[in-house]
Amino acid sequence: MRVLEPWVAEPLTELVRESGARLALIMTASGQVVAQYGFARSLDVMAASSLGAGILATTAALARLTGESGDFGAVVHQGGGRGVWLAGFDTPRGRWIGLVVFGNESSIGLIRLFFGRFAAQLAAATPGPVIGRELLAEGFERELDQSLRALFGTEG
Amino acid sequence: MTDRDLVARLELVVAIPGVRAALIAAVDDGLVVHEAVMGDLAAEDVAALVAAFIRRGTELAIGVTSGPPNLVQLMATNGIVVAAAGSEPLWLIAVASPDTELGRLRLLVGDLAGQLK
Repeated sequence: MRVLEPWVAEPLTELVRESGARLALIMTASGQVVAQYGFARSLDVMAASSLGAGILATTAALARLTGESGDFGAVVHQGGGRGVWLAGFDTPRGRWIGLVVFGNESSIGLIRLFFGRFAAQLAAATPGPVIGRELLAEGFERELDQSLRALFGTEG
Repeated sequence: MTDRDLVARLELVVAIPGVRAALIAAVDDGLVVHEAVMGDLAAEDVAALVAAFIRRGTELAIGVTSGPPNLVQLMATNGIVVAAAGSEPLWLIAVASPDTELGRLRLLVGDLAGQLK
């Protein structure tokens, strides 16, 4: 498990342990990765985060079209051997997204249950927004490099 | 069997004194299909956890006895869970307090689960 923000580690560890998730990815609504569990390659993380953020943005637009207030909450893709749970949740740092991959040893119900607990624990543990933090422009590449090193150690 | 029939059967289960919830759940995905809940018990959480318990119990039963279970019973300090298999993947699950008339509950849950087939 790799985390950019230390307070994410304990709730994510519990989510993975209790739900039996195989992979987990926590990111901001814009797709910036905050934590990952189980991914071996940075390219996989970047692809999964951008795809996950895109799927939730798409379903949010569909929700508005179909008259749903807000978004659908969670999107589940179920395959023969693996499923993907994708859901947004609110934190003091804004809306974040969780992507959880699970196998037949777990279930949608278990992921739903423990993801809900994870989101509540994380919201309680998250400090308030950081004022004046440099996010884009000239600091973007440096911050991206630092994030990737934190998420994958020396490998990339 | 219509939805109304299913709910009526679940209400028969929760009519037994001490029963806190009766629900029909799909054990493969741990989701509730129908529910009758007394008080503030979270049926979705119960379905997810009991479904996981049933899946593991089924693996154990198949490993030990070569056959899947038809009825699963969990006795805990503060409650009882009785679950009976209907048509796959549905199970009828009852959550009750320890002082519930267990024989009656097992009989009813087993009978009603059989009607799900």
